[in-house]
Amino acid sequence: MPELWDSLPAATQDWLWLAALVAPALVMAAVLLRGFAPAPLVRAMLWRFRWTNLCCIALIAVSIGMGAGVITQERALRDGSARAADRFDMVITAPGSDVTMMLATVYLEITDAPLLNGTLFNEVANHPQVALAAPLAYGDSHMGAPVIGTTEGFVRHLAEGQIEGRMWQDPFEAIVGAAIDLKIGDSFVPAHGLGDAAQEGLHGDRIAVVGRMAPTGSPWDRAILVPAESVWLTHGLADGHAEPGQLGPPFDAEFFPGTPAIVVIPRSLASAYLLRQEFTRDRETMAFFPGAVLGNLHRLMGDVRQAMSVLTLVCQALVAAAVMLSLFILSRLFARQVAVLRALGAPGRFVVAVVWAYAMVLLVAGTLTGLVIGQGAAQLLSAVLSSRTELALNARIGWPELHLAAGFVTLGGALALLPALAALRRPIAEALRGG
Amino acid sequence: MDVRVDDLSVPGPRGRVLAGAKALSVPAGGSLGLAGPSGAGKSTLLFALAGLLPQARGKVLWDGTDLIGLGARARRRMAAQNFGFVFQDFLLFDELGAAANAAAHAMFAPRAQRAAIRTEAAQRLGALGLHEADTRRPAASFSGGERQRIAVARALATRPGVLFADEPTASLDRAAADALINDLTATARAQGITLICVSHDPALLDRMDRVLHMRDGHLAETADA
Ligand SMILES: Nc1ncnc2c1ncn2[C@@H]1O[C@H](COP(=O)(O)OP(=O)(O)OP(=O)(O)O)[C@@H](O)[C@H]1O
Ligand SMILES: [Mg+2]
Repeated sequence: MPELWDSLPAATQDWLWLAALVAPALVMAAVLLRGFAPAPLVRAMLWRFRWTNLCCIALIAVSIGMGAGVITQERALRDGSARAADRFDMVITAPGSDVTMMLATVYLEITDAPLLNGTLFNEVANHPQVALAAPLAYGDSHMGAPVIGTTEGFVRHLAEGQIEGRMWQDPFEAIVGAAIDLKIGDSFVPAHGLGDAAQEGLHGDRIAVVGRMAPTGSPWDRAILVPAESVWLTHGLADGHAEPGQLGPPFDAEFFPGTPAIVVIPRSLASAYLLRQEFTRDRETMAFFPGAVLGNLHRLMGDVRQAMSVLTLVCQALVAAAVMLSLFILSRLFARQVAVLRALGAPGRFVVAVVWAYAMVLLVAGTLTGLVIGQGAAQLLSAVLSSRTELALNARIGWPELHLAAGFVTLGGALALLPALAALRRPIAEALRGG
Repeated sequence: MDVRVDDLSVPGPRGRVLAGAKALSVPAGGSLGLAGPSGAGKSTLLFALAGLLPQARGKVLWDGTDLIGLGARARRRMAAQNFGFVFQDFLLFDELGAAANAAAHAMFAPRAQRAAIRTEAAQRLGALGLHEADTRRPAASFSGGERQRIAVARALATRPGVLFADEPTASLDRAAADALINDLTATARAQGITLICVSHDPALLDRMDRVLHMRDGHLAETADA
């Protein structure tokens, strides 16, 4: 059996799960409602207690919406951050915290880091297993966007070749990220430093924008890319070449000012592991896969996610309890009607069916509204987060939320039998007298 | 249907008997009036005869079947198939239309009988003077007299063998009450319905085959037609 289950496509498994979660509610509905036409009475109850009903629906909707929204948003963030790391196969830095260096390279949360020298860079760049090695040079910014020095090869890799305009041809030309508010043909003078500490007016050289990358869904969309030589020259360093006027690799080790990180594209998966082994050196270098580091981070956050899920479930249980309580009270207010039905000869199952169907309308309406709210909330949150980080977040209600909702409806359906059965237990004659 | 009652009593709190009848019988298609002061136990006796009081003791034999001895489910089925009940304060479903109220049984009756119940209910409403155009209006919007007529239509919609009516003319003016009395007795006669009415209305009691008076839960015969 487990093998059969595992052999099914994921979508089929999800559908089957959904079906299994909804099935008990459908069976209850079939058993209770079969052969009856309780709709007019259900409508009457919905109308009679309309304000209370709306409150119940709102309560359910908010709890489901919060639960679904949080799960959706968390998944979107996880997927989005993983996608942003996709194009950074491997990074080599000086030994330290791989998380810090991953944040600095993939997410451009730049921190001061020890530099790797030219000899080492050339060793990496000329390694037979390396397809592409690029230095990164930080230090300047323009209107809050970091100006990052690197190589033509890396820019092409990052943009997957989709660059509008043209590639730079001298150190003072730039390719901008998709979210940068500069047009091709604009020019700017970079400020020294990053963020709030940036100082205008220290550098004199104007940089012209000559190209724009297609969106990458990563914080690099908000970066301005220039040749590494440009950053080095601006800061009065050597430009990496023995003879002036050269642009890009190969670099001359003696004139290489150093780089905090080397982005490496290995030739194959096997070469990636070889390279990682080779460049993990005590006191000298550290090689890591950003995707794997991120995976570890997500695993750590998984505990937080679990805690959130538990909180969500507790919240939903409380709401379910509140709704059940109000159903008990409402079905008491409906006691006279129930007694009339019983006096007219209606079977007990019919009375249960009316109260249960009424409860289910509230439950299903609340749950569906909740999913819509959850989707909306996640979308809103994602939009805010995206605008801050440029991570491409795709917040869409997914299977886990649908499963959660289906489970909630079925559980609620089972609980709703209680007030329904309670409605049946009251003495008929007393209720007929108005008791 | 005919009924024979044998030592029926409805016990109340502290050993009190809310309503009782040592021996009582009504032939099929016959009619019985129950009169008496308020609180005498008329409604209680009516409920007991219709099998709505599980605490009732004794025997109530409808066509020979003891209602009190039956299980709750069988009792309910018997009520659905054979009894019509007009309650003292109508007890309509306020939000449903007049037609839906009169055809209330159709909501739970076997599918095959639904159409017949709806047709009969509509016919009864018409016969009782409710215009068809009005029958979609919610029951709450009708006057007391009209509500009473809807209640009667509901009681007759299943073509019952017995009709219980608790003060059916109480909220009607004289002319409407007389019309309703004519209608009830005529329908009962035409369809052979056994009629058991609680009433203070002499005009209604006059038309009953037999009238019994109740006081403090007990029956005393006053007149035979
Ligand atoms: N469940 C009960 N527990 C205690 N006393 C009850 C109960 N049901 C009815 N009674 C009492 O039994 C008596 C008979 O009530 P019932 O409703 O049968 O009177 P009634 O003859 O129909 O009066 P009315 O003409 O006012 O309708 C009343 O005194 C009432 O308070
Ligand atoms: Mg009474």
